[in-house]
Amino acid sequence: MPVAASAIYFLNLRGDVLINRLYRDDVGGNMVDAFRTHIMQTKELGTCPVRQIGGCSFFYMRISNVYIVIVVSSNANVACAFKFVVEAVALFKSYFGGAFDEDAIRNNFVLIYELLDEIMDFGYPQNLSPEILKLYITQEGVRSPFSSKPADKPVPNATLQVTGAVGWRREGLVYKKNEVFLDIVESVNLLMSSKGSVLRCDVTGKILMKCFLSGMPDLKLGLNDKIGLEKESQLKARPTKSGKTIELDDVTFHQCVNLTRFNSEKTVSFVPPDGEFELMKYRITEGVNLPFRVLPTIKELGRTRMEVNVKVKSVFGAKMFALGVVIKIPVPKQTAKTSFQVTSGRAKYNASIDCLVWKIRKFPGQTEPTMSAEVELISTMQEKKSWTRPPIQMEFQVPMFTASGLRVRFLKVWEKSGYNTVEWVRYITKAGSYEIRC
Amino acid sequence: MALSGMRGLSVFISDIRNCQNKEQERLRVDKELGNVRTRFKNEKGLTPYEKKKYVWKMLYIYMLGYDVDFGHMEAVSLISAPKYPEKQVGYIVTSSLLNENHDFLRLAINTVRNDIIGRNETFQCLALTMVGNIGGREFAESLAPDVQKLLISSSCRPLVRKKAALCLLRLYRKNPDVVNVDGWADRMAQLLDERDLGVLTSSMSLLVALVSNNHEAYWSCLPKCVKVLERLARNQDVPQEYTYYGIPSPWLQVKTMRALQYFPTIEDPNTRRSLFEVLQRILMGTDVVKNVNKNNASHAVLFEALALVMHLDAEKEMMSQCVALLGKFIAVREPNIRYLGLENMTRMLMVTDVQDIIKRHQAQIITSLKDPDISIRRRALDLLYGMCDVSNAKDIVEELLQYLSTAEFAMREELSLKAAILAEKFAPDLSWYVDVILQLIDKAGDFVSDDIWFRVVQFVTNNEDLQVINVFSIFAISFFFKSFMHWLSEFYAFPQPYAAVKAREYLDKPAIHETMVKVSAYILGEFGHLLGRRPGCSPKELFSIIHEKLPTVSISTIPILLSTYAKILMHTQPPDPELQSQIWAIFSKYESCIDVEIQQRAAEYIALSRKGAALMDILAEMPKFPERQSALIKKAEDTEIDTAEQSAIKLRAQQQTSNALVVTDQRPANGAPPGSQLSLIKIPSTETNMDQSSSHQGLSPANGTLSKVDAQSPSADFLGDLLGPLAIEGPPSSAAQPQQTIDPGLEGDPNAVDATAIVPVDEQPNAVQPVGNIAERFHALCLKDSGVLYEDPHIQIGIKAEWRLYHGRLVLFLGNKNTSPLVSVQAIILPPSHLKMELSLVPETIPPRAQVQCPLEVVNLRPSRDVAVLDFSYKFGNNMVNVKLRLPAVLNKFLHPITVSAEEFFPQWRSLSGPPLKLQEVVRGVKPLPLPEMANLFNSFRLSVCPGLDPNPNNLVASTTFYSESTQAMLCLTRIETDPADRTQMRMTVASGDPTLTFELKEFIKEQLVGIPINHPRAHTPPAPAQALAPAPAPAPPAPPVAQPSTPASSLTDPGAMLAGLL
Repeated sequence: MPVAASAIYFLNLRGDVLINRLYRDDVGGNMVDAFRTHIMQTKELGTCPVRQIGGCSFFYMRISNVYIVIVVSSNANVACAFKFVVEAVALFKSYFGGAFDEDAIRNNFVLIYELLDEIMDFGYPQNLSPEILKLYITQEGVRSPFSSKPADKPVPNATLQVTGAVGWRREGLVYKKNEVFLDIVESVNLLMSSKGSVLRCDVTGKILMKCFLSGMPDLKLGLNDKIGLEKESQLKARPTKSGKTIELDDVTFHQCVNLTRFNSEKTVSFVPPDGEFELMKYRITEGVNLPFRVLPTIKELGRTRMEVNVKVKSVFGAKMFALGVVIKIPVPKQTAKTSFQVTSGRAKYNASIDCLVWKIRKFPGQTEPTMSAEVELISTMQEKKSWTRPPIQMEFQVPMFTASGLRVRFLKVWEKSGYNTVEWVRYITKAGSYEIRC
Repeated sequence: MALSGMRGLSVFISDIRNCQNKEQERLRVDKELGNVRTRFKNEKGLTPYEKKKYVWKMLYIYMLGYDVDFGHMEAVSLISAPKYPEKQVGYIVTSSLLNENHDFLRLAINTVRNDIIGRNETFQCLALTMVGNIGGREFAESLAPDVQKLLISSSCRPLVRKKAALCLLRLYRKNPDVVNVDGWADRMAQLLDERDLGVLTSSMSLLVALVSNNHEAYWSCLPKCVKVLERLARNQDVPQEYTYYGIPSPWLQVKTMRALQYFPTIEDPNTRRSLFEVLQRILMGTDVVKNVNKNNASHAVLFEALALVMHLDAEKEMMSQCVALLGKFIAVREPNIRYLGLENMTRMLMVTDVQDIIKRHQAQIITSLKDPDISIRRRALDLLYGMCDVSNAKDIVEELLQYLSTAEFAMREELSLKAAILAEKFAPDLSWYVDVILQLIDKAGDFVSDDIWFRVVQFVTNNEDLQVINVFSIFAISFFFKSFMHWLSEFYAFPQPYAAVKAREYLDKPAIHETMVKVSAYILGEFGHLLGRRPGCSPKELFSIIHEKLPTVSISTIPILLSTYAKILMHTQPPDPELQSQIWAIFSKYESCIDVEIQQRAAEYIALSRKGAALMDILAEMPKFPERQSALIKKAEDTEIDTAEQSAIKLRAQQQTSNALVVTDQRPANGAPPGSQLSLIKIPSTETNMDQSSSHQGLSPANGTLSKVDAQSPSADFLGDLLGPLAIEGPPSSAAQPQQTIDPGLEGDPNAVDATAIVPVDEQPNAVQPVGNIAERFHALCLKDSGVLYEDPHIQIGIKAEWRLYHGRLVLFLGNKNTSPLVSVQAIILPPSHLKMELSLVPETIPPRAQVQCPLEVVNLRPSRDVAVLDFSYKFGNNMVNVKLRLPAVLNKFLHPITVSAEEFFPQWRSLSGPPLKLQEVVRGVKPLPLPEMANLFNSFRLSVCPGLDPNPNNLVASTTFYSESTQAMLCLTRIETDPADRTQMRMTVASGDPTLTFELKEFIKEQLVGIPINHPRAHTPPAPAQALAPAPAPAPPAPPVAQPSTPASSLTDPGAMLAGLL
């Protein structure tokens, strides 16, 4: 296990130390001054997250209006240190209820000290999982065993929990209604040339779960991905169902997923943590269903006029619809006047981003609304400054549609008590950077 | 301000001020710009109020640093608004948003003019301010007369005239060629009679600018200036608002005195007297007071007065008064004043001979050397350096040496350099010089730059005087002792053997500086053998002394030591086998050294030393170093920070040098600066040869020896070489030499020979015949960039050239083909007036079978076909060989082929119509060539042939770009129409944007086309200096086609033409 930090500092944007913790005494207390003078007050801030000054390494990152700085004097594991910071921030957020900023730190000094004591020991990262820590670092008072009223809740055995096999789930959970929510969220990145050919296209997706299940349930998830289906057909000695199989790249799982089972049986089986978590992430580069096609025609009529025609075609099912569609069509900086004609939605010119912004709140499938605009330009001094024509950008959300075509085939829950569960599955596709050159 | 009431503007500004960060601000600004654009584009137009408001917003955004590239039209149109608030915005925005090159300004000129000639003063002021701020050429062209009228009009208020004067000043500074100031002298004189001080101050600024350009026309203003000074300084006739801390308008005083400094002298005795009276008053009346502002003002006036006094070469009495005053300043506690005092004293040294007076303050100046402020210490050092002469050199150098040990590191190098120069320049005797240098190396070893010890070596080598060498050789040994002083006393007090014994005793002393090792090793190697007869100085002992130091020295010193060993070995006669084996062992050890230089030396020396007697020639004594300006002095000049901002002083300095020198101040071609008066050293024993003050008198003999074949006296030769670089300063008559060679018919003219005392080279029977045809080689080199320029049985001159735009770099490779050295090698470049050429030094001797490279830098100033000539001579045995070679730095080298398309070509071709830009000529007698070959020929001239541009297949169209310093890049287009029936004639049309270029290019192509064949050897000889070696004089050279831009005579007065790097 590598050393990750000798000291950790939380600084505000002015460079004042909000809170700090020294884990090893191989760095002096004044090292933070070196950070202030050599990094914060120079232009290098934000260019390189790792700097070495005077024999010490400084790892820093900015989270909202707080700089978190880790100082190490020995040969530390940089990736480990940054992972530690990221996890610690997630932990603080779960404790503070969402926000992590200067005010949140000022309001929770004691709690933070307590957490800092717990999550790192002599420079070695310890358990950072909020579920576990919340067992014994509590925000409410714990009733004394000697008080007159018996405790209505037994104090959980934290030690067992931390050292146990299923560190992420507490035993003895009981829900009246056992429910599982499963969301597949995908974002589509696209770069399309003006001629309509796809230059770059991929989908990054994640599966989010929210479990309200009693006891220690064992879950098994089946998707229509290629590996899973092939394995299944091998096992059951029957041919794969005709239909699309999806090849997932770069799959990463939550720690609860049993990887040995995944390696041998190619099934995703796990004991879920209680509450909300991200089960897996993946990426898809082939066979992407694009939800929208954009057909722009931009004509420059002389030096002072432009004609913009944009047709957007929704290529998902007619029963579905997209929400919050925004199409940003860049125009030259010297745009002076604009007039629009749209078949649906509303369009206007936004001078501060130099774009025509066309918004359509609800966009049904298999339709093609159009927008045509006339843009008048003002004449400028620099005659020859040609306009570079940045790409058209698009934002949208399409519920119940996956650009990858990924579907949940089954989600099975086993528990000793054999209760019934209700499973809810949702799909949503969002725009990542969805760009069309014009 | 007219802002009240513009709510939108104040809201916008407060929005911007409330922005939290830059990004928010940018968004707000972009939004506002969008809004302004929409408003400006509005068909209904804007009310004047709105227009004003949005233009103010634009200006505010522009001032925040954002790019505002629209709305200039609106701003300009506001200028013509009738109301003041709108006009004001218009003027302010126009002058800040637009610069002089914007086309929009043209729209405004008329309005501005109407305002200037109108009756409304406020508008006049606004207009003048804007014109002054922008100051473009078009404004100057169309408005300068009006501004001038305004300045002298009597009906205007002073306020307007003041602005007019400043506006005119700005226009004049920007475009002196456009603003017509002929006949302004009288008006300026009139203006100087002005009573209003504001107008007077502005006019004086204008006068300073005018006078700095041409003082001749403004003599009439001189007495007026003196009157103004009198009025201010003597009569104190100044309104209260123009006195500053009781000083009457210090600004005007300073300006007036500055203007006076542009006049070379004041002839009228009355004026002079009254001026001196005023200056006297200023000098006497200034004192150091408590108030800083008052001090600043009064000292500004005072120092300007001092500068004027220096400029006017006042009487000695006044000068001494100035020096006394400065002496007082030096003693003051206030560092600024002390600094100024020292600086002005240094300046004083430069112009007048007040050294004796300044010397009185020497003690005080030396005290300043210990000042806590480094800038003052530097000034003091400069002053000491400047005031040093023979009489006080000893004291000053002594002082500098003492100071050396306490000076801060940053200054030590400069200090040691200066001490070394002074010691060299003013050495009363040799031992003192040696002593100083020794102490210098001892005290500031690390700060003694290489140049200093190089100089010592040069100095020693060039002083052939045996005694000198002896002293130096022993001096070299003595370097190994801690102190030469010590040794010197013993050397004189005790018999020589004792000194040697003493030397051994000191040998064990550790820690001598490496520079000392270098100097002594070199000198011992060169002259150690002369010590042979002295006990303790046998080669073996010398070797062991030096060799002891080998392990302690750095890589850069080892090669020097190796050379020394080789020389010791060579001088050991009869050979000492033991020493030989010792030295060979060292060489073979270093043969595998990782440092290339050391390895090569070791390998070569070991090979050479096995050659036996032949070694003698190879390792002969180093030849004398060419005498040139001491590198030390050059370096000192470089390091001297020229803070002399006063153009007047510079101007004056230039005038003085030009009076002193016979010819001109142009830089000579080999880079040696003119006036090497500092390079020579006053030494009693050699004074007969080299006297620094006699350099000018020494000129005429120098000219004589320069090209005279001189086989007898080596010392005279030496002198000639030494003074060679001074040849430029000779009387212009000597410049007739190349003129003779131009016209072979003149060569026999005995008068010319007598008159110039130059033996024409052609009359020398040249025993050596060149190998190959020189003209042919030249023509080949015109087309390619490397090849052989000249070859004869003894030498081969190769050339390699690189051309970039209008710069060129030629490298001459001088290869000695013989087994014995070529001596008295000289190369002089005679450049035509359009080329600037700088040849690096050419060594006097080319060792046997060696090749020497001499880079030659060429800059093309103008288009011209003239050819540069290399006057090259050397001596082989008793034969003097002299050849004049044309250098292939010809017109086409500065061409860069460029292919143009039909769309580009035809508009250009049409726009360049008619002579002199487009010239056409029918050329006859062309050597018949098939068309593709001709196209190849053109391509090889770097004229890019563009096929398909001309519909007629018998025609050729070519294009190229010509580069020169005056024309920069210039497109040239050529069209050749051939007649398929008669290939010997053609019609040629050349066009370019420059008439000279067109003509020269046309002639050049014609020459090339007519002259390619070798069977017309004379037909194409350029009119510039011709081949002197041509076997038979041509019956009649072709008449020069036109009056050339550079007549031969003009190129000869060009000092660069006469100059060359000798040796």
